[in-house]
Amino acid sequence: MSEPAIRIDRLVKRYVDAQSRGEFVAVDGISLRVEAGEFFGLLGPNGAGKTTTINAIVGLAQITSGSIALFGHDVVRDWRAARATVGLAPQEYNFDRYLNIRDILIFAAGYYGLRGAAVRRRADDLLERFDLTSKARQTYTRLSGGMKRRLTLARALMHEPRLLILDEPTAGVDVELRIELWQFLRELKAAGTTIVLTTHYLEEAEELCDRIAIIEAGRIVALDRTSALIGNRSLQDVFLELTRR
Amino acid sequence: MNWIGLQTIVKREVVRSFSIINQVVWPPVITTLLYIFVFGVGLGSQIKSIDGVSYATFLIPGLIMLQVIDQTYGESSSSFFQGRFMNSIQEMLIAPLSAVEMVSGFVVAGLLRAFFIAVLITIIGFIFVHSLPGNWGLYLLVIFLVAVLFSSLGIIFGLLAEKFDHIATLTTFVITPLVFVGGTFTSNAFLPPLLREIAQFNPMFHMIDAFRYSYAGHGDAPLGPSLLIVAALAAAALAVALRMTASGYKLRV
Repeated sequence: MSEPAIRIDRLVKRYVDAQSRGEFVAVDGISLRVEAGEFFGLLGPNGAGKTTTINAIVGLAQITSGSIALFGHDVVRDWRAARATVGLAPQEYNFDRYLNIRDILIFAAGYYGLRGAAVRRRADDLLERFDLTSKARQTYTRLSGGMKRRLTLARALMHEPRLLILDEPTAGVDVELRIELWQFLRELKAAGTTIVLTTHYLEEAEELCDRIAIIEAGRIVALDRTSALIGNRSLQDVFLELTRR
Repeated sequence: MNWIGLQTIVKREVVRSFSIINQVVWPPVITTLLYIFVFGVGLGSQIKSIDGVSYATFLIPGLIMLQVIDQTYGESSSSFFQGRFMNSIQEMLIAPLSAVEMVSGFVVAGLLRAFFIAVLITIIGFIFVHSLPGNWGLYLLVIFLVAVLFSSLGIIFGLLAEKFDHIATLTTFVITPLVFVGGTFTSNAFLPPLLREIAQFNPMFHMIDAFRYSYAGHGDAPLGPSLLIVAALAAAALAVALRMTASGYKLRV
């Protein structure tokens, strides 16, 4: 049996609150497995632990206890191989303000140890795919919200990751672009990319995800195939029932 | 080792420097020209010589050190802090880049900036004061050590700072005063005996004095111990910058 794209085993993440100096448990013993090629939804209310879990997967948060492996590579012991497999499209725009759009993509690949004509070609292909070619020489500050969202996705794909993590990929974009992005994500999945999605748009998760985990207060309160989780109700009803505090 | 990743950080820092050319290149050039005209040519004409060289020639190595220190610290600290503040440093943190590769990238970029500024001021010195280093090996060695030290300090304070104001604190209250009293404009021999003794504890004095050897062939303190002090400080600062980055201090929550 092949290695899962993500294997999280009893993940705990505690923070020390800077003001109260007290401990805050953001993730409280989560275990889950995302199979290669799967489209997986990670849902939960604000502060439930979704972004912390994602940050632990990509290396932005240090794990308090437990373990995470990506395609069999432990993110702490075998971090270099693990990080090479994953691309992150964060919710907040964190582009380099000193680079133009094309260079943002080329430099992103550079951090992954890639360069040369193939990288420049891929950057141009992604700019074209996301309708950003005419903006290639501009800085990101001159892009609209929808364009920035597309650039976030293009950057995450520059090193051709086997696992793509999308943190609110359609936040603040119009319906037309959202549907366009959904189509693109379906194509990516068909090409074999594993996708993990967090979103507050429940219809988005319902539309795209093979399986969904719902997190509340740092714990998984539901994890099942989308159709089985919903049954004959709506995802919104299920979500509200599981996360109402 | 992710060499391409390291080179990408260096390239990114060079692009950044040239995109803010009015902050990185012109201020050291214009400030140096002003110092040369006001102190070197103006006041300096009233001073016969210091340690056997004209005052203007005495001044050039001090001015090079002043700008190298100021620019390497200022640029690496603001770049690192801005990366944290704007979250753009996350691009590097999620990539397969180690702390050694990240810190090396910023330090190498600091070295390039230091040599670029030093060469510019050296050319200015040659044009206006007809002064060039006699020992290029020592010239390169001291700039290398000082640039490593202040690029590393820039990373450390870029990590410690909670706002831009904190970065300026070190410059305003520590670096600038110590550089000014560290022999940039006057020989240590001009100081009263007590202050001369105290100056030995000023690390900037050893940097400037060691660098002045490359121009004048002599200085106020023995060259070997001064070089050792600068090298030890550079190694210590680099080790701290590496340790902080590797531990994820204020980088990985």
